[in-house]
Amino acid sequence: MLITLIRRELLNNLMTFRFAAATFIMLLLVVANTFVLINDYESRLVSHNNSVNMHKRQLQETNTYSAGEIRVDRPPNSLSIFNVGYDKQLGNEVRVTHIYVPSLWDAGMHGSSNPFMDMFASMDIIFIFEVILSLLALIFAYDAFAGEYQSGTLRLVLTHPVRRGNILVAKYISAMLCLIVPLSISLLLSLILLTTSTSISLNTDDFLRIGGIIFTSIVYLSVFYLIGLLISAITRRTSTALMLSMFVWGFLVLVYPNMILAVIPQHDAPQERKTSAYDKIEQVWQELDKERKQYLATDDFPGEDWGYELRGWGSRSSNFIMFGNPHTLIYKCRGVMKFTGFGEEDEYKMPHAQKHFRYLGPRIIDTADKTWLVRKPALEDIYIKPANTERIWLKLSPVGLYDAATKTWSGTDVRGVRDFFHAARQYRKRVNDFFLDTDVFGSRQWFSSDKEAADWSDLPHFAYQRVDSNINAMRALPDVCLLLMINVVLFIIIFLIFVKSEV
Amino acid sequence: MVWHFALFNIIWREIYDNLNSLRFALATLLLLGLMLTNAIVHLREHPERVQNYHNAVVEHHERLKAAADESLYKLAQKGPGYLPKKPSSLRFCAEGGEPYLSERAQGGHHRWGTDTLESFWILAYPSASPNRQNVRPVVSKVDWGFIIGYVLSLVALLFTFDAISGERERGTLRLTLANSIPRHTVLIGKFLGALISISIPFTLSILINLLVISTSSDVHLGAEAWGRLGIIFCIALLYTCLFLALGLLVSARVQRSAVSLVVLLLVWVVFVVFMPSTLASIAGRSTSSGPSLDFSERSEKLHEELSKEYYNNRFKEPADSHKGMQLDSEYVTKDAEQQERLHAERLNQRVEQVNRARTITRISPVTIVQHLLESFAGTGFERHLQFLENVQSYAREYRAFIDDTDRADPDSLNILGVPAGMSQKPVNPESVPKFEDTLNLSKDFNTAATELLLLVLFVMALISGAYLAFVRVEI
Repeated sequence: MLITLIRRELLNNLMTFRFAAATFIMLLLVVANTFVLINDYESRLVSHNNSVNMHKRQLQETNTYSAGEIRVDRPPNSLSIFNVGYDKQLGNEVRVTHIYVPSLWDAGMHGSSNPFMDMFASMDIIFIFEVILSLLALIFAYDAFAGEYQSGTLRLVLTHPVRRGNILVAKYISAMLCLIVPLSISLLLSLILLTTSTSISLNTDDFLRIGGIIFTSIVYLSVFYLIGLLISAITRRTSTALMLSMFVWGFLVLVYPNMILAVIPQHDAPQERKTSAYDKIEQVWQELDKERKQYLATDDFPGEDWGYELRGWGSRSSNFIMFGNPHTLIYKCRGVMKFTGFGEEDEYKMPHAQKHFRYLGPRIIDTADKTWLVRKPALEDIYIKPANTERIWLKLSPVGLYDAATKTWSGTDVRGVRDFFHAARQYRKRVNDFFLDTDVFGSRQWFSSDKEAADWSDLPHFAYQRVDSNINAMRALPDVCLLLMINVVLFIIIFLIFVKSEV
Repeated sequence: MVWHFALFNIIWREIYDNLNSLRFALATLLLLGLMLTNAIVHLREHPERVQNYHNAVVEHHERLKAAADESLYKLAQKGPGYLPKKPSSLRFCAEGGEPYLSERAQGGHHRWGTDTLESFWILAYPSASPNRQNVRPVVSKVDWGFIIGYVLSLVALLFTFDAISGERERGTLRLTLANSIPRHTVLIGKFLGALISISIPFTLSILINLLVISTSSDVHLGAEAWGRLGIIFCIALLYTCLFLALGLLVSARVQRSAVSLVVLLLVWVVFVVFMPSTLASIAGRSTSSGPSLDFSERSEKLHEELSKEYYNNRFKEPADSHKGMQLDSEYVTKDAEQQERLHAERLNQRVEQVNRARTITRISPVTIVQHLLESFAGTGFERHLQFLENVQSYAREYRAFIDDTDRADPDSLNILGVPAGMSQKPVNPESVPKFEDTLNLSKDFNTAATELLLLVLFVMALISGAYLAFVRVEI
């Protein structure tokens, strides 16, 4: 019986104009945008590769260790085609140095040639789904009950010994099958386009993530279909159901996500949190400076502060400057020295200079690590926490949940981007260990290249691997579960209304 | 006479039907909610913007005064500092991508210095990148542009999708036409009826929005601003007409109202939601101006070449000879000229790219309306270009002032760019030209004219389309 019902519904749906129109529009939009998105990804990849090569070249050209800037670049995420998230927006290169611990807030940006172009909203496949799938689901659902009430066919069906639950399930399954057709065809086409592109290589993990995205899309589709069914079951008239569905759609998709953040009170962390953390960080650095001065005072060399008296042909004096930015709580010390050589009269100072820097290097590393312990929780409080509160507000609409879940699947959410900076911090540890092991701080090449230039060939390599797909799944799980829960709740409500209703 | 009477009757009946409908209530609620949000956000954000602008103006004046008190050389070398862009008091009408447009231009940034010489000021255009470190969710602002462009157009479609097909389904259309009422009267009646029923909630919500905004003491709307608001209101109605006509056209062609709505919604989604961003990204991609990394390298290279030449020549001349000072002057001014040209070139490239994207996206009516709203609200890209023009003409004025003052001083050697070669007397701070950003309505009209005409053209085409469709259709 159920099968007969499903077949009837399926035929009814498949023969309609809306089905043809829906499939056509989905295909058109998804394919057209996939082309654009792949092109965009490719150009970002090119700019990434250029930037990696440039950083490598610049490092090789640097003759002293202290002046060398080791930079690591975040490659563009191939799944950003599905949901671009923060992939294009947040910084994609960061300096790895012993003087501070790199974080998202110290990152720079390469590759965006025209900042004005950010004015135009960027589009991705999930956005198309967000808008169109929900619209389609409602268009399929609005007359499911209301239409049958009006035309009286429901009464006819119920004269047969059919359970009402069966009718509901049949309607649900057949409509979902119909709706999955345009979704899967368009996704398949875009996947084919993706795999034919030479610059994009998807591995097994990526396919698992895409599978997660497809699953989430189906769950999202189902939420809107059930919302439509609910409206249809309550209103009993097709024109009212249609009107109400459209307004609900406009509200959930168009109005709510844009309006809610303006309505809720702002959750900024208090300014004191910033200043107190900054003061603490500054204090830690001042302590180091004090220690350093003490060392210089008891040093066997009678000079005052090291570096100032060293004058090479480049005639740039080195100094130990400390400066910071209270906004992002960054604080660094700098002792850049670029000398090509020294005169004979400076030669006797060399051992002392080396000794000084050998003394200073590990201590700067320690101090930077110490300040990171203060800075990390402060940054969490100031930037991440308010952002998370706003995200929770957005998730009150299924659209927000869907967006968040797909972002997590593709790894373009804030956490996914921050993974890169975590990797950069790990890399910094390796670089520091390398510097300490090979006594780079105490070498002459640290500040001078007159005898021998710095040798960068043994420097550990940086490789960034995105997290496993099961970690993505773990992160996406809460949002997907919430979407599923909305499904179940809506289904139960519709069932109750439908069972109790008079025909 | 009968004809008029029938028209009024139809309009009246349409309005009456609409006022009693669910969609009218929902549309009113939606528009009111959005407009209130808009007003609240504006009141929350605008005072800070105005304050920032005033602080920047004060800073600019103080910088000029400090330099003028010292000497003409300081004034010529340091430049006018940051030149702030005046915020529009109608920002709530159109956000216009303002966060992505810098709030200021930079006139005087110290680039290099030697023992005797300092770099001259150049006009640079810092870019605003508000999202670089922003981990918060980015959403579009609820401005009038959003409310009119997206919500009002959707509401217009929902008011007209069943105007003709619905009556045909119920059979009332046949009844109406049986009463010897011409078809175009029915169409005009339906059109005006829907227009009036939509303008009621729209006008109401706009009035409440303006009431909230104007009662606050922080925001001052002058007579000109009210005029602009009136124009914006008319544009909104014109835009509504476009979608009403589209709704009537499809409704007349299609037999069933459900099908009519599906067609309309899909057209709306394609033209309003997707077209602008897809087209913009296609247009933006087609020409990628060189990466910005190139820029700093190029700038450094230019400077290095110039320095090399300068030091080679300068070496031969004694330190304070006239010839030597002229070499100094040449070095400083040429460097500033080169660097400024480099900055201007980059700016022009970027502007060109954006203009191309903006031209292509004009196919979508929502973009046209947003551009129009931007020009009349004094925000957005066109306004930014106006600001840049103001800045550039100010820079010329400033340089001319320096030249004239220097020439007027008989003791001066008139060697620009060298401390000893210029007038040593302090300058009266009052006489130094000060930058003031202005908004110019007649200019706005010029930039908006094409778009306004395009919009009118769209509306005319759709209305005549709807007329033809309805006249030829079988009932």
